[in-house]
Amino acid sequence: MHEMGIAQNILDIALSAANQEGAIKISRINLVAGELRGLVPMQLTFCFSIVAKDTIASGAYLHVEEVPVSGHCNDCSADFTIEEYNYLCPKCGSTRIQVTGGTELRIKDIEIE
Amino acid sequence: MKINVMQDVLQANDRIAEENKQLFKKNRNLVLNLMSSPGAGKTSLLEQTAGKLAGKLRLGVVVGDIETTRDADRISKFNVPAIQLTTGTACHLDANMVASALPHLQLDKIDVLVVENVGNLVCPAEFVVGEDYKIMILSVTEGDEKPLKYPLMFKESALMLINKIDLLEYTNFNLEEAKANARKINPSIEIIEISCTKGTGLDAWINWLTAHHKKKMDALPHA
Repeated sequence: MHEMGIAQNILDIALSAANQEGAIKISRINLVAGELRGLVPMQLTFCFSIVAKDTIASGAYLHVEEVPVSGHCNDCSADFTIEEYNYLCPKCGSTRIQVTGGTELRIKDIEIE
Repeated sequence: MKINVMQDVLQANDRIAEENKQLFKKNRNLVLNLMSSPGAGKTSLLEQTAGKLAGKLRLGVVVGDIETTRDADRISKFNVPAIQLTTGTACHLDANMVASALPHLQLDKIDVLVVENVGNLVCPAEFVVGEDYKIMILSVTEGDEKPLKYPLMFKESALMLINKIDLLEYTNFNLEEAKANARKINPSIEIIEISCTKGTGLDAWINWLTAHHKKKMDALPHA
């Protein structure tokens, strides 16, 4: 259940950003989550709804934009999406690849009233 | 009204992890975040390590479990300072929990501090605690496809110990397949086969440990 801790962090960041703007309500939070984070969006939104209770983010919609795992080949310089954890360059078959995306976990923006 | 935030969700954790890291640097500790599923042999490995390091490097342990202090009790028998964190419902240790244990340890009398994480192949890999390296144990009774099912931990680990190697013949665990799967996700992962009950491979593990301790000490300014 790491979703609960993450939901609390999301709430803390959103509340502090909203307070700076003098908001009375947070209506939406746009989150970017890489696939490698292994988050279950449904669990995360559920946990968020619990921690947000009795705050100005109560009832806010938490949108989770999932980012696929992406890679860069150090041999042929190809950029590609990694599916099914197949860490091979689809172009030249090299295993010398670098993961360039899929570990991010950040709040992009929030909508306030 | 929309406002840009662009903040990492785990920045609060990362900031505390950085403070831990500075403290470890000051006290010249090599810090390892040890992860595995429950029952893979984390505590057994530490018991063996305590015995083998005695007189060479001073070990310290922070151990996280959901309940009980059994693991810390097991490790303390080897005259190794061990602090137990009972996490309640949390499935992992985060930087703040580790920070709360540190005042109870004499860090300047420790060379290698191992943070034994909660047994879980998913959540611990998400949180840095201030470690130099994440390392993990996969035991042969778990299955060789685990790297593909739980990729983040294998991706984050510098070293994978394959434990219970003495039981290999009783399982359908394919050793080469397991290594290939781990390397597919993390081509630079180091792999050592061990058996904590038979002692196989433990010298290679101790060599890894002492080499990485030396590497960190060499990089630090002399005390």
